Amino acid sequence: MGLSWQLRNAGDRLVGAPEGRVDETTWEAFCGHLTAAVRDAAAAGLPLVVDLSKLEYMSSRGLRALTIGRREAGEAVKITLAAPNDRMREILAISRYDKLFTIADSVDS
Amino acid sequence: MLVRFWGTRGSLPVARPALAIQGKIARALVAAGGRRFVGELEADTWARNNLEFSTYGSYGGASSCVEIEAGEDCFFICDMGSGLREFGIDAFRRCAEGHPRVYHFFLSHLHWDHIMGFPFFGPAFDPGAHIYVHSGHPDAEEALRRQQEEISFPVPFDWLKARIEFIVHKPGETFEVAGVTVSLATQYHSHDSYGFRFEKGGKAVIYSTDSEHKIDNMEAEAAFEAFFRDGDLVICDTMYSLGDTVSLKQDWGHSSNVVAVDLCHAAHARRLVLFHHEPTYSDRDIQRMHGETIRYEELVRADRPPLEVLCAYDGLEIRV
Repeated sequence: MGLSWQLRNAGDRLVGAPEGRVDETTWEAFCGHLTAAVRDAAAAGLPLVVDLSKLEYMSSRGLRALTIGRREAGEAVKITLAAPNDRMREILAISRYDKLFTIADSVDS
Repeated sequence: MLVRFWGTRGSLPVARPALAIQGKIARALVAAGGRRFVGELEADTWARNNLEFSTYGSYGGASSCVEIEAGEDCFFICDMGSGLREFGIDAFRRCAEGHPRVYHFFLSHLHWDHIMGFPFFGPAFDPGAHIYVHSGHPDAEEALRRQQEEISFPVPFDWLKARIEFIVHKPGETFEVAGVTVSLATQYHSHDSYGFRFEKGGKAVIYSTDSEHKIDNMEAEAAFEAFFRDGDLVICDTMYSLGDTVSLKQDWGHSSNVVAVDLCHAAHARRLVLFHHEPTYSDRDIQRMHGETIRYEELVRADRPPLEVLCAYDGLEIRV
């Protein structure tokens, strides 16, 4: 299964929505989309919400891509992970990424 | 091949304090619920079958030392952590039964927790013993000599009676030792570390400890996938959570359980052994980490065959 990415402006924030899986075959594409979205958010002065609702799961490479995105964002862009499915919630907890990122129940919260 | 773990703790040997032992006893008594046992044997059988490992047993506290029974008429030992002392005592027993007194050591690196057992390695005082030290580090001999200088230890290296030879290997090089094909790979760690791959009879065991997989160089992981390729048993440094390795403990030279699973999945390895446990972790912490790693493997397995996830403890034996 591949990975697709949609980016939209929700007015007060940018929302990036990956769909599919992020694993050893798709992490580079995910990382590219994410860092580009971070730059767009910085240019627009908006926070970035990563909508995980259509993401099946993310392995460690995807998680580490999130960290690369966070580094790109610095203090300029707040990144929130939103609407993870149950599997992603477990992965975020096991990796302790739930302690590194803000996780919201929905994109709108 | 038979892999035997003599030391599995990272960075610093640990001993469980009395309170931890008392807690295990209390939990066992509660679990027994007033049950009566005829004797210790019956109680031991019940405990083994009914208690969690962290209550019934312990992961132990000796630092890195792993024996691989693979070589013809010799011992293979990865690293010289504090677990080496117990190995040395057991080696005397086996040598008394006729085992040749030939030892091949494979050093991941020269940090203290990986060499501190050598001054207490009894066979080094045996004039009939022959010790080979295989390493990627040209300064391995200097490291072993230095830790036995008078300021650190009362017995100088030159007093050791065994014949000791140091052999430096280049990363990527493949060599034969006593019928086993061995190769080594450079790993990211302070002053470098090396992983070793042992192959014999169509089976492969990989020893990869003290190896950080850097977030800004994930492309390099293809080399580790190749090094782990089709491994029957991959022993990996899983000292920290992934979150720790990308934040507070970045550049500390260690890896995580989830990265180890992903590398083994990509390499089509069959079994992963969690190793080099964080010294501040209790037995229950390590057991929890083991359970979480099994669960993570299920969550990201997709259509791959299952990867068996084992957790090393002092005394564990795994046949490959």
